[in-house]
Amino acid sequence: MSAPVLVWLHGDSLSTEDPAVRRYPSAPRVFVFDEPWLRGVRPSFKRLFFLFEGAVDAGAQIRLGDPATEVLSAMEEAGAARLAVTRSPAPRFDEWMEALHGRVDLEVVEPEPWIRIPDAFPLRRFTPFWKKLGAEWS
Amino acid sequence: MAQWLADRLVGCYAEDRSGAKAAPVQGGREAGLSVLRGFSVVGYATRRNFVPGDLTTVSRLSPYLRHGMLGLAEVAEAVRAEVGRTADAVKFWAELGWRVFWRGLFARLGRSVYSDLEPAKVPLGSGTMPPEVERGETGLVCMDETVRELVATGYIHYHARMWFASYLVHHRKVSWREGERFFYRHLLDGDPASNALSWQWVASTFSSKPYFFNRENVEKYTAGRWCARCQARCPFDGSYSALETRLFGGKL
Ligand SMILES: Cc1cc2nc3c(=O)[nH]c(=O)nc-3n(C[C@H](O)[C@H](O)[C@H](O)COP(=O)(O)OP(=O)(O)OC[C@H]3O[C@@H](n4cnc5c(N)ncnc54)[C@H](O)[C@@H]3O)c2cc1C
Repeated sequence: MSAPVLVWLHGDSLSTEDPAVRRYPSAPRVFVFDEPWLRGVRPSFKRLFFLFEGAVDAGAQIRLGDPATEVLSAMEEAGAARLAVTRSPAPRFDEWMEALHGRVDLEVVEPEPWIRIPDAFPLRRFTPFWKKLGAEWS
Repeated sequence: MAQWLADRLVGCYAEDRSGAKAAPVQGGREAGLSVLRGFSVVGYATRRNFVPGDLTTVSRLSPYLRHGMLGLAEVAEAVRAEVGRTADAVKFWAELGWRVFWRGLFARLGRSVYSDLEPAKVPLGSGTMPPEVERGETGLVCMDETVRELVATGYIHYHARMWFASYLVHHRKVSWREGERFFYRHLLDGDPASNALSWQWVASTFSSKPYFFNRENVEKYTAGRWCARCQARCPFDGSYSALETRLFGGKL
């Protein structure tokens, strides 16, 4: 039997269609309000409530604190041995992964993009980008 | 529920505890799907630039796309299922394409999206956010209404975002980063990539020229509803070439 999994949902992928949720549909889910970051940025409450509704709708347990710490305690509470999370391009995502590296069995799930941008493709102006990569939709 | 959450998140949001209210639109995939079902792309290509009071010319899907409550592929396919490949669909897909483009840049550049990506094509200022602009008390109805709507609802139309950004950066000579932070705090779709890079696009640090507009443009796309009740001396009045001279000292 495979190890029990916890799925971590973040603000880029807050739904039951999240790729990590789809891979582990019956695993418990957690969403963390990143308290240190929020105290710095102080977004409007409307934004936070919108995320909260998204997390509720996605069936996630909701926590407040430092994300890496909170995810670790959520794993412990759930008796999970593995953490699955969908990749995000945000630099904070890489920082979290670094903080968790070596501390948990971590599975980063790659989202299936609508349009894939090859690594070597130059991103300078929209028009040439769309002409080439958006051809199917133009 | 909003009260309950506001108590738990004290210190994490901009408003006073008593001003902490839910947005007029609901978060979550279910709510997003219902907005998607209610959207028709028919007429989008010609109507999207218009800013009517009820904002029905655009999809308002951005907060759901931003937070992955809906996916770009499913939204693109829903439009294809509705009308196939029409001029409206093609225009709409290109807008989704902008999101892909900005996110792609963000994946490569990370926090550098918050620094000028190119030298500005016109002199820019480094001012801070004027308090009367942030409070929506400039006397310019178009700007004040934009701020009021942003703060009250967490959403403003694309054209209003452009006008406001251009006003702040090119008329008030405020650093685009200040405007970026202001939008980011309030927009339900506030996104590091789309927001910072759109501000850079307006400022001309990621475009070949600055974006600016005139009064005629605002009147046309709002059917005059803001200008009709504006008492201020309009800084946007004039031809594009007159504005070019006034703002940038000559033809671009
Ligand atoms: C100064 C400034 C700041 C902006 N900040 C943001 C932001 O933080 N988050 C954000 O999602 N968009 C931002 N935009 C882009 C655009 O204004 C919004 O995406 C759009 O207005 C959202 O409304 P809609 O869903 O009704 O759009 P529609 O016209 O219905 O478009 C459909 C979808 O396409 C995407 N889209 C449309 N236009 C753009 C664009 N120019 N750039 C990127 N994606 C686009 C959005 O995901 C949108 O939901 C900004 C634009 C400006 C000028």
